[in-house]
Amino acid sequence: MSAGTAAPRRFGAVNWLGLRTLFRRELRRVLVEYRDTVLGPAVSGLLFLAVFRLALGGAEGADDGATFLQFLAPGLVIFAACQRAFETAAASLIYDKLEGILADTLMAPLTPVERTLGYAGGAAASGLVTGAVVLAAMLPFVDLPLAAPAAVLFFAVGGTLLHALLGVLVGLWAERWDHYSASLTFLVIPFAFLSGTFYSIERLPAFGQQAVTLNPVFYVIDGFRYGFIGRADGSLAVGLAVVVAVDLLLFAAAWRLFAAGYKIKP
Amino acid sequence: MTVSVPPSPRRLGPVNWVGLWTLYLKEVRRFAKVATQTVLAPLVTTLLFLAIFSLALGRAVDTIGGVPFLQFLAPGLVMMAMVQNAFANTSSSLLISKIQGNIVDVLMPPLSPGELTLGFAAGGVSRGLVVGVAVGLAMWLAVPFPLHHPGFVLFHAVAASLMLSLLGIVGGIWAEKFDQMAAMTNFVITPFAFLSGTFYSVERLPAVWRTAAHLNPFFYMIDGFRYGFIGHADGSLAAGLVVMTAANLALWLLAYRLFAVGYKLKA
Repeated sequence: MSAGTAAPRRFGAVNWLGLRTLFRRELRRVLVEYRDTVLGPAVSGLLFLAVFRLALGGAEGADDGATFLQFLAPGLVIFAACQRAFETAAASLIYDKLEGILADTLMAPLTPVERTLGYAGGAAASGLVTGAVVLAAMLPFVDLPLAAPAAVLFFAVGGTLLHALLGVLVGLWAERWDHYSASLTFLVIPFAFLSGTFYSIERLPAFGQQAVTLNPVFYVIDGFRYGFIGRADGSLAVGLAVVVAVDLLLFAAAWRLFAAGYKIKP
Repeated sequence: MTVSVPPSPRRLGPVNWVGLWTLYLKEVRRFAKVATQTVLAPLVTTLLFLAIFSLALGRAVDTIGGVPFLQFLAPGLVMMAMVQNAFANTSSSLLISKIQGNIVDVLMPPLSPGELTLGFAAGGVSRGLVVGVAVGLAMWLAVPFPLHHPGFVLFHAVAASLMLSLLGIVGGIWAEKFDQMAAMTNFVITPFAFLSGTFYSVERLPAVWRTAAHLNPFFYMIDGFRYGFIGHADGSLAAGLVVMTAANLALWLLAYRLFAVGYKLKA
């Protein structure tokens, strides 16, 4: 019967318990505000759907077999998911920094890789939850096929992770909330809006079509949509490679910043 | 040898003009200081909307009521940007002051409820109009639209900004947390702005909804404002003038009463 002090917990190469805790905290802090973070995007998505439907009226709007709404719905779903993932990651980090509670995660025995995974993973998961709810809200109004579930899954995960990691980078860099809203208004939303959420890029002028093929967000939207309607504007193989490459690149950047303590350690 | 005399209180007439002007300036400077967020951001967002709609629908929808689709769309987008920003200005100002506790700085000075209402609302109207002019000019470069009746443009720009500023005051006084305000924006203001004919002629709506649209002030503000530019209206212009005036009066009284009784503002 020894009443000695508690021995430190032992863990192997990965602090699974810590990683899971950070992941769950990131996911929960968003879902607890589900009215704004999940239902809000669902309402916005339905509004866009309604507005386009009404603006089109009886006009054709068919894009190669798929009706315009079938084309639009997946774009709106992945847009909502990606935006949520970005917002979660960036807002969490900025909030923690400004409130001075980032120390809670910096002091815990987590490696920079685990921190990156925890923040980005939780944010990506919150994006996936939001995307699923937006999709569910749209299903009663749009008869959506499911051509390639694997593509849906891959581009949903790859796309939300991409935006979550971008959110981590912005969150580490930002010092004020202005930086957050500016990056959202001038970077994330324009990229998504102009990358084919709402229209087939065939409608762009030649220059725009070429510019878009350099844009990873285009591949995320295009590939995700392919998973439903079975038709893509760009090359799926290129999309796959680009999304994986950009995810890895952003992950490496976020990991290095955490390791160096950029703007988070004195 | 001068004897120091304690300053005597400033004498006010029926209106505390200095106080009112000061409150107004505070409200204007508050958004002017972060013009990137409050003017440039709506500008970019609205131009994005224009780009999206012209790319997505440009081929399928030529004209609405004989007017080219983009000319139909542009005034509606300008109006949408104006009202969202007018609402955001007053609601965020009051809510943030309440949460941070510096609302006393506005409640303690000798400002009557009417002056408070006017000072806040005028700040919101100013932001609405500044955003409207900026967005309107930028749009006009992209989509040259005519200007048939400047009087209607002016009336509806001011009336709509005022209406949403007053609504923002009411919302800002009522809300206690940021998520309540976000919910109001997400579930009330944006849907109204979206569904009231910014993007389509209400003639396209099913009969029930068309009737509902004719009771909706948002419909009249967009429709009347657009009429000022393109000379084509979906609804009755006279009804629009009446509805906008009545809605503004009703909201003014409500905001005034809330300030007067100190609802959620005073212990």
